[in-house]
Amino acid sequence: MLYYARIETLRTLRNKRYAIFVVVFPVALYLINSGIYGEQTAAGGVRQSVYLMVSMACYGALAAAMMSTALPWAQERSSGWSDQLRVTPLPGWTVIAVKAGAALLLVLPALALVFAAAVIVAGVSLPAGQWALLVPALWLGTIPFAALGLAIGSLLPPDAAQPAAIAAMFGLSLAGGLWFPVEIMSGPLRAVAAATPVYRYAELGWSVVAGGGLPAAGLLSVLAWAVALGAAAVHAFRRATVRS
Amino acid sequence: MKAIVFDQAGKRFGDVTAVGGLSFAIEPGSTVALLGRNGAGKSTTIRMLLGLLEPSSGAVYVHGRPPRAAAAAGELGAMLQEGRLIPELTVRELVALVRGLYPRPLDLDEILGLAGLTGLARRRAGTLSGGQAQRVRFALAVAGAPRVLVLDEPTAAMDVESRLRFWDGMRDYAADGRTVLFATHHLEEADEHADRVIVLAGGGLAADGTAARIKAAAGGHVIRFALGGQPASGLDRLPGVTSAEVAGGTAVLRTDDADATLAALYRRTTLDVRDLELSAAGLEAAFLALTREP
Repeated sequence: MLYYARIETLRTLRNKRYAIFVVVFPVALYLINSGIYGEQTAAGGVRQSVYLMVSMACYGALAAAMMSTALPWAQERSSGWSDQLRVTPLPGWTVIAVKAGAALLLVLPALALVFAAAVIVAGVSLPAGQWALLVPALWLGTIPFAALGLAIGSLLPPDAAQPAAIAAMFGLSLAGGLWFPVEIMSGPLRAVAAATPVYRYAELGWSVVAGGGLPAAGLLSVLAWAVALGAAAVHAFRRATVRS
Repeated sequence: MKAIVFDQAGKRFGDVTAVGGLSFAIEPGSTVALLGRNGAGKSTTIRMLLGLLEPSSGAVYVHGRPPRAAAAAGELGAMLQEGRLIPELTVRELVALVRGLYPRPLDLDEILGLAGLTGLARRRAGTLSGGQAQRVRFALAVAGAPRVLVLDEPTAAMDVESRLRFWDGMRDYAADGRTVLFATHHLEEADEHADRVIVLAGGGLAADGTAARIKAAAGGHVIRFALGGQPASGLDRLPGVTSAEVAGGTAVLRTDDADATLAALYRRTTLDVRDLELSAAGLEAAFLALTREP
């Protein structure tokens, strides 16, 4: 089982889609945007280079969680690989557990790369206490998105899962304020943003870097999304692997 | 204890009966071919045997247990028809992954050798040819040293070299007293590699026995002659004839008593029989006779 988890992680690290969406995109966008706006002041009174670090780390983490789940799982189902595993003694539930675990593991490099770019290139520095809250919040906060990716992979065939995952990823990032801050959105858009799990997730990070700690309402909201999407993922997984 | 038992196992998909009440039992250590045309129910039968499909009626047992329990105990290994590998993983990683899931697997190098993959161990699956990928899938099927090995059309997409290596590997594997069941629509494969042939047609059992017995049961000889424009009526009622067909002025009779048929053809009909050929029916003819749609 440990070997299975290792192999699951390894295969995604070798995948080009993962590399582009997770490694290149967020770091490049961060460097470009913080190069232009980095010295300005963002919402919460922090420098843009700090605010953008959180936005892009969230985007990279979101991409990692979804890219490593939706399409690979949809492909395994349709290609017969999941049947190949079902003939072995591997218990069915370990497949979804290992995939969720591997997805979480794969979020870490995405976070680390944006943080490293921020610290090394843009000269961001945060108090140790803030890092200690920021990293686990942005890491474990991706659980809802890994669950969403697994649900998409269970419900759709590969040629539909790919666009669905990408649309969900970009749609949620845009609506959740990762591309443009929620503060510059109009009222109705702001209401939409507040309803997305991505905004709630990123809010944890923005609040920490602004010195506000972890907001209880935000934590509860992300937790609720994790439970809801996790239940959806388990249900969809059961339906997709049932022997009819 | 039987290695495989089908007890009135049937499978319906909506209104369509893919397999209807199938019963047979297979002794441990035997190599059995499941022969049938496309759509005869081979894949459905195999998926029920592997626990990937639940029978709509009846039951299936592998060494006395339902297939899911047998799979959990590492009794089953399978090479499925549809089975793309994970392209980012190497051959060695794939084999090591599957072998690690079984309680008493074969040695990694032994598996690679058995499947003829030793030289390909470090290649990523995405770069393999169709035949090479098929050999990897064979390696995955045997990796856990399952007592029951199930192969669904294993040589489809294999080139000649892969095919030869594959059958060698399968023979070596089966030689250790393990049970092998393979589905095929290649008659020569069933004839050459199986101790027993189970013929499926229209989702039911059409014949069951050794290749030789199936040949005999399906009519031993074929008589072929030029009929020209003469009427063909009555040919199918000649003694011994199991089927009669006329196409392009040539009559083809299948018979299980060639002497009686020939005697009657000359003595009891007024036909002008020319260019007559008599041949032993091959498994091909037997197969066609057994699986003809009603």
